[in-house]
Amino acid sequence: MKRLWSLSTFIVLIALVLTGCVAPAPAGSTPQAGADAGAGVKDFVTWYQYDQNNEDTKSDERVGNEYIRKTIPLFNEAFKGKWNWVNQPKAFDKMGTELITAVQAGGDVPDLMHIGNSDLLAFYQNGTVQDLTEWAQAQPWFKDLDPNSVTACQGPDGKLYCIPVAEAPQLVFVWKDRFPDGYPTTPADFMKQAEALKAKGLYAITFFGSTDYDGEGMSRFFWTAISSFGGKLDDGKGVMTLNTPANVAAIEFIREIVTKGYAPEIVFAGKFQEEEAFKDASAGSFPTGIFGYRYVNPLTAPSGKKYEKKNEEDMLDAIAAGDVTLAPFLAAEGQKPGCNNAVSAFTIPTGAKNVDAAKDYINWIMGAEQNPAWVLGPGGGFPALKSIQSAESFQTPFYKEAAKVVAASNCHPWYGSLERRQEAQKLIVTTIYKLIKEDPSADIATTLTAAEAEYNKGN
Amino acid sequence: MLSMSRRKVGGWFNRSLPFWLILPTILVLLVTQVYPGIYTIWLSLQARQPTGWTFVGGNNYKRLFDMGQFGESVGHTVVFLVGFVVVTLVVGFLFALLLNRKLYFSGLYITLLYIPWVIADIIAGLVWRLLVVPDYGLLSGITQNPLFFPPNGLSILTAVPPRPWLGAFPFPPAPAMIYLIMASAWRALPFITLLLLAAMQTVPSEIVESSRIDGARGWQVVRFILLPLMLPTLVVALFSLTLSGMNGVGMIFSLTNGGPGTSTEVLSYLLYSIGWTQREFGRAAALAMLIAVVNWLLILGTLRVSRVEERGA
Repeated sequence: MKRLWSLSTFIVLIALVLTGCVAPAPAGSTPQAGADAGAGVKDFVTWYQYDQNNEDTKSDERVGNEYIRKTIPLFNEAFKGKWNWVNQPKAFDKMGTELITAVQAGGDVPDLMHIGNSDLLAFYQNGTVQDLTEWAQAQPWFKDLDPNSVTACQGPDGKLYCIPVAEAPQLVFVWKDRFPDGYPTTPADFMKQAEALKAKGLYAITFFGSTDYDGEGMSRFFWTAISSFGGKLDDGKGVMTLNTPANVAAIEFIREIVTKGYAPEIVFAGKFQEEEAFKDASAGSFPTGIFGYRYVNPLTAPSGKKYEKKNEEDMLDAIAAGDVTLAPFLAAEGQKPGCNNAVSAFTIPTGAKNVDAAKDYINWIMGAEQNPAWVLGPGGGFPALKSIQSAESFQTPFYKEAAKVVAASNCHPWYGSLERRQEAQKLIVTTIYKLIKEDPSADIATTLTAAEAEYNKGN
Repeated sequence: MLSMSRRKVGGWFNRSLPFWLILPTILVLLVTQVYPGIYTIWLSLQARQPTGWTFVGGNNYKRLFDMGQFGESVGHTVVFLVGFVVVTLVVGFLFALLLNRKLYFSGLYITLLYIPWVIADIIAGLVWRLLVVPDYGLLSGITQNPLFFPPNGLSILTAVPPRPWLGAFPFPPAPAMIYLIMASAWRALPFITLLLLAAMQTVPSEIVESSRIDGARGWQVVRFILLPLMLPTLVVALFSLTLSGMNGVGMIFSLTNGGPGTSTEVLSYLLYSIGWTQREFGRAAALAMLIAVVNWLLILGTLRVSRVEERGA
């Protein structure tokens, strides 16, 4: 009896261990996907930061969510009997790393992923994405792409690792009544108007000034300011060059804004809370990405007029009503207003199972019928295809004004030839933060030299 | 003949049964502890290239030590750990002392006390953050009022740290660090209080009473009777707090995100930042190894102290 008991215990334990070792079902094979797909129809899996199942009308990502929700049936109809689109929503600040680890671990990867160009180098260095050069060059839409957007999708080896669809430059949202003589065009003019606003208990500007998200403020405001002073962060060969007269002047300018109280304290709070000061018009201007119009709401104009739909229409309504205007940032003497330009693109990960579907999808989106909707939806900017820029969807007051602003600015990605972008971003933003907020008496040139030396040691 | 071989098999089975019984545990430990540990050591010596992993020896460690942020994070970690452990243990002990008295509704107090423990640290961090967001937080009207915090009021999440007293060591800490310690202690308090209360209730009342008859009063009872008898539990509490303080990142992530500047960026947050945001897995693994070594040293140190104390007691 004792032996029988021992034997059964042993068998149960071994069974448990063996059951635990059985491979789990692939994550992509959700019941929904399986149910929708008919015989011979293959799933086409995408990763977007948008969630088709989130129908919350107040969600920050409402525009993208709705786009995906409406477009999935259209795609499935267009490729009926061939592909079934399964979108897996991912957190915007984690999806890049999730993809890299999934590729390295041999896990499930999507067939296509929506990315920003700032992630591309990390993908390239980690062998995460496929070379699309030959295929893309053979497509009819390739020659129509803005060359700047193509450059943003190239790796250091000159090959194309993503397909650009939209460009999102930075510009300044301005409460018109706070700057009755127009938004300042020079640093001196800015300081004068800022002082006048301060006397009324108001702030001239709010911006992403914290070190949050490992230096996200770099692409949002700091680069705008630095490039408007003619500054650069690299020598074109991957070496960081922070201590330049133009960079020092730009940081002195930002430092003055902070120390003189022309910007509210919430600038440094992080988590995008600097937007609050623009929403209630306590700050007169807000330099950020063109896509910012979706997130900054509800709004209360200086006149007290409220825009309270609590979605992207608030900003568009305020622009149409003339309460908010768009402007290029100011510029130092002899310089053009600068700004960062982010590219929204598609990439096909290494190990994607359904590359044909991904290529069909890209061609579908690059067509004249689907492209404007994508650019207005997930893209949140201007079309990378030059022929689409004149489409009717981009002739609204908002887009017309934005186009003028971008034409008056010199927009390009902040990182230049720097290869360790995320590390550089955090280091530079932390350094600038210390100079403008933590220790406003520190010598700017010395501090910048130390920071660039720290980065260049890793080259 | 058959019965002899059966007996042999049976004997072998009985002898090896203990091994088979612990095999599942060994397998689980190998998969969840040993393999990740070895993989992390391997990873800490590699760098990623487009073509695959490349052996770089100690370069990841060197680059880590070259980072100005690494030294700062060590300082922040020390400040956070000391503050978090001391505040939680002291307040937890005082709460346990109070609850150990025969109070009306003490069951209700214990239930209420338990609430922070069941809230996820990310959520708790967000709630604490919403209280003090500059200009817009529920309590910012009070904290930013110069009447309460002269001369200019205090914006907890964005106030810069005072000038350090000891070289580069971040002491006194930034207000955000003090706030982070308070929030973390608030969340850890229920578990520690209940742990200490349970230990306190196992101390025989005869011993406490006889010490009082011998003339011991208040603090003397605590110092010479309760504390020595509760020492094993205090060591467990110290362990638990030190390790959770050293490795926890959720509260920092939602409350301060390492800011303002880098003033609440502790080693575990730096690890998250290098690995998850900068995607430098080799350097992150090197930092993970250093954190593991610190964890082992802390555990060994605590064990050593507790043995010495036990012998002394």
